[in-house]
Amino acid sequence: MGTNKTAVFLCNCGPNIAECMDLDAIGAWAAGIEDVAAVFRHNLLCSPDGKAYFRQSLAQRQPENVVVAACSPKMHERTFQEPAEATGINMGRVQMANIREHCGWVTPDRAEATAKAKALVHAAICRCRRSEALTRRSTKVNTDVVVIGGGIAGIEAAMTAAKAGRRVTIVEKEIALGGRVIKTEELAPPMQCAPCPLAARLSALKETPNITVIANAEVTDVLGFFGNFTVRIRRRARAVKDNCIGCEICFEVCPVEVKTRFHLGPGTHKAIYTLFPGSVPAAAAIDKGACRHFTDGTCDACVKVCPLASIDFDEQDEQTEVQAGAIIVATGSADGDVSHLPELGWGVVDNVYTLPEFERIASSSGPYHGEIQLRDGRRPASVAVVHCAGSRRDDGIRYCSRVCCMAALKVGDLVRKKVPEAKVYNIHDTLVLGTPREALMHARQRCSGTSFLRCPDLTSIRVSRNGDRIRVVGEGLRPLDVDMVVLATGIKPPPAAGELAERLYVDLDQDGFFAPGDCLLHATSTSLDGIYVAGCAAAPSDVATAVTQGQAAAGDAVIRLAPGREIELEVMTCVIDEHRCAGCRLCISVCPYKAISFDRQKKVSVINEAVCRGCGTCAATCASGAAKAKHFTDGQIMAEIGGLMHV
Amino acid sequence: MSDFRPNVVAFVCNWCSYAGADHAGGQRLSYAPDVKLVRVMCSGRVDPQLVLQAFREGADGVMVLGCHPGDCHYRTGNVKAMRRFRILQRTLAQFGIDPARLRLDWVAAGEGERFQKLAGEMAGVVKALGPLVLAGKVERDVA
Repeated sequence: MGTNKTAVFLCNCGPNIAECMDLDAIGAWAAGIEDVAAVFRHNLLCSPDGKAYFRQSLAQRQPENVVVAACSPKMHERTFQEPAEATGINMGRVQMANIREHCGWVTPDRAEATAKAKALVHAAICRCRRSEALTRRSTKVNTDVVVIGGGIAGIEAAMTAAKAGRRVTIVEKEIALGGRVIKTEELAPPMQCAPCPLAARLSALKETPNITVIANAEVTDVLGFFGNFTVRIRRRARAVKDNCIGCEICFEVCPVEVKTRFHLGPGTHKAIYTLFPGSVPAAAAIDKGACRHFTDGTCDACVKVCPLASIDFDEQDEQTEVQAGAIIVATGSADGDVSHLPELGWGVVDNVYTLPEFERIASSSGPYHGEIQLRDGRRPASVAVVHCAGSRRDDGIRYCSRVCCMAALKVGDLVRKKVPEAKVYNIHDTLVLGTPREALMHARQRCSGTSFLRCPDLTSIRVSRNGDRIRVVGEGLRPLDVDMVVLATGIKPPPAAGELAERLYVDLDQDGFFAPGDCLLHATSTSLDGIYVAGCAAAPSDVATAVTQGQAAAGDAVIRLAPGREIELEVMTCVIDEHRCAGCRLCISVCPYKAISFDRQKKVSVINEAVCRGCGTCAATCASGAAKAKHFTDGQIMAEIGGLMHV
Repeated sequence: MSDFRPNVVAFVCNWCSYAGADHAGGQRLSYAPDVKLVRVMCSGRVDPQLVLQAFREGADGVMVLGCHPGDCHYRTGNVKAMRRFRILQRTLAQFGIDPARLRLDWVAAGEGERFQKLAGEMAGVVKALGPLVLAGKVERDVA
């Protein structure tokens, strides 16, 4: 077993080690060990002089292994591995014995420290008997970017990366891009048309050849690390081929009306539909739950009229794999829910809407073509806006979503644009007016006919029918009768955020948003390097913030994924000896990186060394001893234990 | 018996508890020299066989120290260590080894004091239990 070829270096570390133990005695003792070819001593081995001495000594002696008895390997392992490699000694054959932090500095008694140091040095010498060479590996970073979510933050992220020449894949769960903003009529405070700049952006995106949009799809699995991710995507069948241009001829012949999700309530579309005219992708989709071909097999009207033969009832879900260097999560948010609070009247009293529903009603592309009207077609003479509906309370959204105040203030402008004489009341508690522009918006509302009624406890608000009007009562308010009520609901994480976070191995915060890695310096980072977050996925945010974050995330990713940049791959990966593997697959179940797959032909597990990070959990789990953790093999650790125990 | 100096092997993960022990060193927080460390990359790497080997080679106590739950450098290695630990403790009892001779705990990179405390506690527990006598093995000389 012994090779008689280990060189031992003892470092005084100035007074740090030399004063704590008897290094002379340790040196004399070590020189007598069978494997030890020579013992070297230096006052400061990590100094330039010390490193030169280290290199020269190794060049002269040409030992097989090196033990450096000095400080923590966490501090200086690389310091000694590199010069050793320069003299032809592999990094795997350099072993440190930490006789400073783990011995001299924590053992006041000199004799005890000397004895413990001997044990640590002996353990390192014994471990060297089982040393194996390690191979450095590196790979070029993948410069591509995957964006999950095609709302405004995701679109901006994709456009930014694409402008830098990077290939971008956008994975969108809906059948078309646009997210929340495309459903919004105007943005506050500037009160600008929301879809107008976005429509221009979408058409630019469509013409950008290095952006691929995979719509009606979800990320099912993510492997790898910064610079080297594999993203698995499932694209759900839409029964319409990609060559569809959204000409809408089939809409006229489709006999089935479906309540539209896009308008959040009022309005319908056909069983074959697009979200809105000019969507990206342009292709329509078929709602399989409604289409008669799928429900009773009696209809193929769309097939007959389609000029491009795009209908494909047999289309199957598709699984694809995309390689990328970085992933930007821009999955947006979900609307706050008030269905569990019947006292607010939603779903109980006619003409009570949530804010997102009102946005659709007010939208020129909405179900009423922008006319503000009640269910019976009348125009409302008065509208009450209830702030913080379902928010800032334990039985709803606990936090303040920060952006709903501005959206609520918008209602006044939108109503008066269509019904100039209408009265608008804002029932609020705290108003979040975060910037001077927002404060100005509030001031302008007050001057132009919106009344602000403060209610110190918004949970006391009750909305009920009062004849053909709606009565709103609450603490500190005179009973108010209006024609329409808009509930300013908040913003919560999308329901699938938890699942996605698990697939990405990143953390969510206590409210379920993607938690920032370091909120001050890396505003768009997550807890995992190479995975970014932008927009409402990170926290309720306004459009300006979402745009800024989308651009910032892509900018950072693009800068760090410079073409040609090498990233070092893990040296100490795990490997499976296929001759010993019994095919039990326990290793697959414990691998935290999903780096192990099963070779069905050979019936053995195989480790993908580009993904493996070398934790060694598989090696600890493998019952046949087939999985090996490089540089931490069973043999090496056992030799170290033996050395520690039998000095 | 009072002269008995226990041998304690502590398997420490590279990222948290090894660094925690380094931190203890940096702050000169002394603890019993009987506690000797073996570095592994992750507490999830600690195969029960390694623990048994340590006892077989003469350890009177073994510690497995990892990152705090939720902080594992390798995501979930410490969770695997935790699951294995429960089974291993029951196995030890079957071998006639007091389960108190094996301890699993967590030390973060900045927790030098915690490392010192755990090392001291373990040395004390093992000293009180006395030398480990394995059935079928001759008692090791107590120097």
